[in-house]
Amino acid sequence: MNIIVCLKQILDPEVPARDFRIDAEKKEAVRGTANLVTNIFCENALETALQLREKTGGRITALVFAPESGEDALRKALAMKADEAVLVINDGHPHPDPLAVAHVLAAAISKIGVFDLVMVGRESGDWGVGQTGGLLAEELGVPCISFVDNLENGTDGLIVTRQTDNGWEKARSTTPLVVTITNNEYNVPRIPKTRDIMMSARQPITRLTLDEIGVDAASIRAGGNYYEIVDISIPVKEVTCEFVTGDSLDERVDQFAKRIIEVTQAL
Amino acid sequence: MIDQQIATRQVLWNITHDWVMYVLFAVSLAIAGYGIYLRLSIWRRGVAVDRFDRPAERIKLLLRHALLQGRTVRERYAAIFHSFIFTGFIILFIATTVVMLDHRFGIPIMRGAFYLYFQSFVVDVFGAMVLVGVGIATVRRAVIRPKKLVYTDEALRILALIFLMALTGFLIEGWRIAATNDPWGAWSPFGYLVARLSESLMSVETMTTAHLWTWWLHSALVFGFIAWAPYTKLIHILTGPLNIYTARLDPSGVILKTLDFENQDAPLGVKTLANFTWKDLADFDACTECGRCTQVCPANTVGKSLSPRDIILDLRDLIRAGGSDPMLAFEQPVVNAVPATAAEALWECTTCGACMEACPVFIEQMPKILDLRRFQVMEESDFPETMQEAITSLESRGHPFRGTQSTRVDWAEGLNVSIMADARDADVLFWVGCGGALIERNQKVVRATARLLEKAGVRFAILGREEKCTGDPARRIGNEFLYDMMVRENVDLLNGYGVKQIVTSCPHCFNTFLNEYPQFGGRFEVWHHSEFLSKLIEDGRLALSEKLDASVTFHDPCYLGRHNGRFDAPRQIVRIASRSSVEMAQTRENGFCCGGGGGMSFVDEPKDKRVNQERARQALETGADVVAVGCPFCMTMLEDGINARKGDRDVRVMDVAEILWQTMEVESKK
Repeated sequence: MNIIVCLKQILDPEVPARDFRIDAEKKEAVRGTANLVTNIFCENALETALQLREKTGGRITALVFAPESGEDALRKALAMKADEAVLVINDGHPHPDPLAVAHVLAAAISKIGVFDLVMVGRESGDWGVGQTGGLLAEELGVPCISFVDNLENGTDGLIVTRQTDNGWEKARSTTPLVVTITNNEYNVPRIPKTRDIMMSARQPITRLTLDEIGVDAASIRAGGNYYEIVDISIPVKEVTCEFVTGDSLDERVDQFAKRIIEVTQAL
Repeated sequence: MIDQQIATRQVLWNITHDWVMYVLFAVSLAIAGYGIYLRLSIWRRGVAVDRFDRPAERIKLLLRHALLQGRTVRERYAAIFHSFIFTGFIILFIATTVVMLDHRFGIPIMRGAFYLYFQSFVVDVFGAMVLVGVGIATVRRAVIRPKKLVYTDEALRILALIFLMALTGFLIEGWRIAATNDPWGAWSPFGYLVARLSESLMSVETMTTAHLWTWWLHSALVFGFIAWAPYTKLIHILTGPLNIYTARLDPSGVILKTLDFENQDAPLGVKTLANFTWKDLADFDACTECGRCTQVCPANTVGKSLSPRDIILDLRDLIRAGGSDPMLAFEQPVVNAVPATAAEALWECTTCGACMEACPVFIEQMPKILDLRRFQVMEESDFPETMQEAITSLESRGHPFRGTQSTRVDWAEGLNVSIMADARDADVLFWVGCGGALIERNQKVVRATARLLEKAGVRFAILGREEKCTGDPARRIGNEFLYDMMVRENVDLLNGYGVKQIVTSCPHCFNTFLNEYPQFGGRFEVWHHSEFLSKLIEDGRLALSEKLDASVTFHDPCYLGRHNGRFDAPRQIVRIASRSSVEMAQTRENGFCCGGGGGMSFVDEPKDKRVNQERARQALETGADVVAVGCPFCMTMLEDGINARKGDRDVRVMDVAEILWQTMEVESKK
């Protein structure tokens, strides 16, 4: 089975809230001292792929659309024992919209060639839009199953388990197929062996430019036009404290009730 | 009175065919030699390491710990019987050599006063001490039965053999004295006693015959002893001194090997016995089975499975079980090869080093555990999940704590602390450490430290957001690769700022900077904050007139105390800054770990087997009002332990810097 796992590199979401800043001008988070890490659901996807390969055999190609820094995500994927790594270099907008990304990934996947399964994380820890997987399936013209946490090889096709609000659904699907992966207790990403980390540093990474995969590079570099970020802000938690006054207890209770009505109506 | 000048005795007396003795001697030497050769051939399988440098220091170590039994005598009971047997053997060996020189080589030294005082009296007394020593040892083994000992038949046979050797020695001496009517007999008091007692029971003829047979029996026992010794724990007579001579000379904080990640063929860490150094393999054969390492092991004390003694002995036995082909043991992975190296036990070690400190023959147990951890982490990626999280966090965030909501500079809010990038002329870098900056409780400690430095007028700065973990937890957990990368990055950063002096309130950072960074080109003057503050007081830069109105007991952090021999500075602060101080039962080099070292603070211990609670119990036992610490990890571990065990008592855990700062605050309020 040929599996392609798409990985997104994001700003470490575990940066302490107090250290989190945004650039209102650029409408993005300020990197500060935070590191770039692989999005956790993408790592869950890779882990699920690795486990599936252990059962069915096949090849796993890790695919990243990012600036040069994306190499780190691919090195880690190789250390976790992905077979191949492809980096599509993003030399344009730092946060292209999901449609633009899906467009790029689809083009890269067509360039890579045959595939049975494309696995992506269900959403990313930075913007959390959660649409790339579905849009990618659309671009590739293959079905998509979302919120998947397990895949097995069935007699005719894959048995795919997806999480729902009420439990799990099992579906049987033919390939090719796109799945978006969510986490469960079994797809916690493995810690690569140091030996494999050392080896991964010497493995080749295929680099592709936007022009090489045959997309409209100009519109991708501009970030796409699927949606527009109008404004971003960090939610502010406001606490105000007010004392209700009054001579007697009854008076204070009255005042208190009155203020509650005023405040709730104001909201 | 007969002239003492001519005093001597007849050697061999009624023994003929004494050439047989030399044949037996040669045979026993050959058998012993083969036994030693077997051991040597095992050691040669190990990786090369130079342990013969700095001979002057090594000879000093040998004299102190082999000849003077420096560590052996730390345990009173063993001190008595072992020195009796040990010195007895030495004196009797000299005596036998004197006989040989006099009789065989015709050098007339066994004469006159020397014969009477040494060869008769002293030798007799020491021979008796051997008997007494064996008796005491037997009582321990048979009656007292301490848990730390290994109860083997071999041990009993050894005691029996030594007892018989000494006993037959006295018998033949006594019978010779009686039968030859030796005029100097009384100079050998115990032989003389045998002589006088025998006279009333036996005829001269019987004594002569008995002497003949017993003499040969005595010879057979002695040669049997020589031949058998290298195949038993008695080999420590040779390997003990060798092990002491080849011991590490640097503080135990320097003990871990760096790895060459360019040379990728060898396994990372220790996979099979062949990946150990020859010294590691020699350690197995030096073990005397005394059990002190396991007795002092904090993990073992609280009932966990880790037993440094059994790691050494199980692996030794694994090698020996190979019999004629000991190499068989060298083909399988060491982890899980024997019960003591079960993977779970390896993750119970706090790397406190108490085992190494306790060992009379300087076996290095802890580094072996680390070698096995390295293999598990780097080659197998098989280690506790919470430690994995710490490693992942170190990789991506530069600190080992998952989900911390603090930043590196939160603790300094409201203080006027310079950042290195803006204050390049600072004299001192205050290295805050992850434990100080990111654990809320410890933020008060680093805050107090910074205010004390400020008060004393020290021109210091911090790295602020540029600071990252020194790499210590990565190394102790076994990820040498990550450690290596972090150290190189930090050395570049620190050298870039031209840092000369580092003050840190974390003993783990302290140890790493002091002992490990020089191997990577990072050479700094490193101070633990207790030392630095203590010096500021000494220099009159911090004056205090108030004392904390409390009785304080100081808990030694392993990486400040045992691993680096710094015991006095924090105690000095406690003494100056508090009403009174008390010591716990296990203190200084015998200090008992808080349970947080070696990456163990990232592991949730079973509720009934917590090292911190045991240490808290020991601290509470002193009756102190304040348990003083000098380490952010000790702080967390002991505060948890004290809170769990203190009951209604009002006991606090405070860092020495906090104690000092509090006295200043009291003063300024007045």
